[in-house]
Amino acid sequence: MTSTTPVTSAGAPEVASAARAVRRGGPISPGRRRQQRRENVAAYGFLVPWLLGFFGLTVGPMAISLYLSFTRFNLFGDPRWIGFDNFVRMFTDDPNYVQSVTITLVYVLVGTPIKLAAALGIAMLLNYRDAGSGFFRSALYAPSLIGASVSVAIVWRAMFATDGPVDSGLSIFGIQLGGWVGNVDLVVPMLILLAVWQFGAPMVIFLAGLKQVPAELYEAAEVDGAGSWRRFRSVTLPMLSPVIFFNLLLETINAFQIFASAFIISNGTGGPGGQTNYYTVYLYERAFANQQLGYASAMAWVLLVVVAIIAFILFRTSRGWVYYGGDSR
Amino acid sequence: MPDIHSTRRGRSTRRGLTAASLLITGALALSGCAGGGSGAGGEDGEEVTLNLAFWGNDVRADLYDQALAVFTEENPNITVNTSFLAFPEFWEKRQIEATSGGLPDVMQFDYSYMRQYSENGLLLDLEPYLGEQIATDGYSDQILDIGVVDDTTYGIATSTNAWGLFQNPVLLEQIGVEPYEGGTSWEDYTDWVTEASEAAAAAGQPLFGGTDWTYRIQNFELQLRADGRNLFTDDGEPDFDEDDLREFWEQGESLRDGASAIPGQRLEEIYPLSGFDAAQTTTELTWDNFGAGYLGNLGEGYTELLLTAPPTSEEGSQDLYLKPSMLHTIAETTDHPEESALLVDFLVNSPEAAEIFGTNRGLPASETQLEGLGLEGLDAQIQDYEESIEDRLGDAPPVPVVGYGAIEEEFRTTGLDLGLGVITVDEAVDRFFSEMDVILDN
Repeated sequence: MTSTTPVTSAGAPEVASAARAVRRGGPISPGRRRQQRRENVAAYGFLVPWLLGFFGLTVGPMAISLYLSFTRFNLFGDPRWIGFDNFVRMFTDDPNYVQSVTITLVYVLVGTPIKLAAALGIAMLLNYRDAGSGFFRSALYAPSLIGASVSVAIVWRAMFATDGPVDSGLSIFGIQLGGWVGNVDLVVPMLILLAVWQFGAPMVIFLAGLKQVPAELYEAAEVDGAGSWRRFRSVTLPMLSPVIFFNLLLETINAFQIFASAFIISNGTGGPGGQTNYYTVYLYERAFANQQLGYASAMAWVLLVVVAIIAFILFRTSRGWVYYGGDSR
Repeated sequence: MPDIHSTRRGRSTRRGLTAASLLITGALALSGCAGGGSGAGGEDGEEVTLNLAFWGNDVRADLYDQALAVFTEENPNITVNTSFLAFPEFWEKRQIEATSGGLPDVMQFDYSYMRQYSENGLLLDLEPYLGEQIATDGYSDQILDIGVVDDTTYGIATSTNAWGLFQNPVLLEQIGVEPYEGGTSWEDYTDWVTEASEAAAAAGQPLFGGTDWTYRIQNFELQLRADGRNLFTDDGEPDFDEDDLREFWEQGESLRDGASAIPGQRLEEIYPLSGFDAAQTTTELTWDNFGAGYLGNLGEGYTELLLTAPPTSEEGSQDLYLKPSMLHTIAETTDHPEESALLVDFLVNSPEAAEIFGTNRGLPASETQLEGLGLEGLDAQIQDYEESIEDRLGDAPPVPVVGYGAIEEEFRTTGLDLGLGVITVDEAVDRFFSEMDVILDN
């Protein structure tokens, strides 16, 4: 409004300047430009809290952590530059590190596929018919909401203790395993079960994906005589592959970061026998129990690089198996 | 034109308002940060809130609550917020707070961390408060010296303790085994534990004679001291080598068979309780002030425990010693040094606190507290025990090296892994030495 007011209500000079503005490149008048600048300022103003957070809480600490990874730092004194010593020690002189990496990989490589399979299976069951699906969807999603919480880990610990519900339940069937919590061989399966039980988030995404698969594809397949397995293999999986890829990527990265459940179930010790000493638990222990901040920072960077590489590999291979509907790849 | 003008002014007013509101928000945020700063020096009855942190269990937490109720009654203007954790977690939390400047005003403190925290300027110099807020008449110079690092007093010892061996008379009776007599060789004790476990198994009780004692660094220290050494020399160098440690851990081999002593798997499950707390073992080697905590965890049906001298590898040697079981310190960053000093004084000197705590923190270090305390039951037992081992008490070892707490914890977890059978003794020795090097060099 204001930019047009001078033109209509004033004499020749304003008209000339307006004409210049038009010559200079279209409809942007100085007033409008000023307003745009003002809007930009306002936009940045509103962005300030986020930018502060981004630089103060993400970029800054990352830069410091990168620096610390080349130092020896015990929280109290000043960091001492030691070059690549931390990284060398990690791979050559720290058996706990190797063990921690091993159990983390087992957890990711075994737990993630099982979790995704469970999520897909349940999603397909929910997709099968509509009656009551809303209720079941919420009920099955609930564990994901509370699954990462402290209380569930504590409940889990109690459930799998000697003479706990799981132990007693199994012994009805003649399976005498004793407690899982203190058992070196069973504590990893126990944590994988806890992760699998929280299949709600990928399940909901799968369910959304399943609803998108056009019914006529199934009808056509059926007419061609495809059985249910065939329909699943040749229609559901390809149509769902972008969603599977998305879930796989997300869940893999998440699995690498397992912390709370392992930390609580082991009381922060990483026990029994280091079997809950997952990467992030070990990292925390190094940083805050042993005050080796430099070493812990180096560990964090290795984790970041490894997760980035895995994500990259997943993206590369996805070209071969992910089908985006309508595109000719 | 006038309308433009007025619009502009409107805009600049709005801009001014925005700037003003930003300023106010900033000011509020800043004052929020500094909020804790106001109200210092509550001598005139101003409301003051202090944070107090300690390690321990529910039993001790309850005792602190009782004691603080008395303290706040005497000092109605002071509110004390408490928080407690188990020992290892307590120190993890303090490390983080130490770096962020958020240490609690008053802390229950361990001797092994005194050097590290005082050298880094994290603890308040208590000198100005001694004889003022904190009475020192009950203390011998020797006890006061415990809290001194580099000629400055940073802590006041609450109490002293010594290493001992607790036995559970109720369980011993259940399995029909005579208590361990105390003060014999380590092999004797190992045999006794094995026999007690066998007797329990024969009686169909899910009990064990004890724990594989080689997972505690203090038992290793006892054996070194019997040999005239300590864990660390005065210069902070380890006074033992790989062979010493290998030999030590091998002594526990027979107790790690899953039947002769409580299996590692059980210990993992009941952690942070010990086998003794959970009434699953009949004996435990530990500091003698643990008795009250044990009684609390064992619950009803227990009024007494047996406290016996630990085994020894050299009869007649002075392998035991008295150490400050804990101290109280004040954070350098506290906003209320005087009130904090008052609280410390109450905790270490007042007869009321002494009566409430008994020997939960060890035998009171302050003579006035000790004398005013009609010790009975378990508390009297502990006092008697410390008198009975007088011949075995030698000089205390040098002030613990920086990082001693982490070394002790590494020893414990390595010992637990041995018990679980996930590493061999040789691997354990390698791991411990490489970790110790890193910690000492950290």
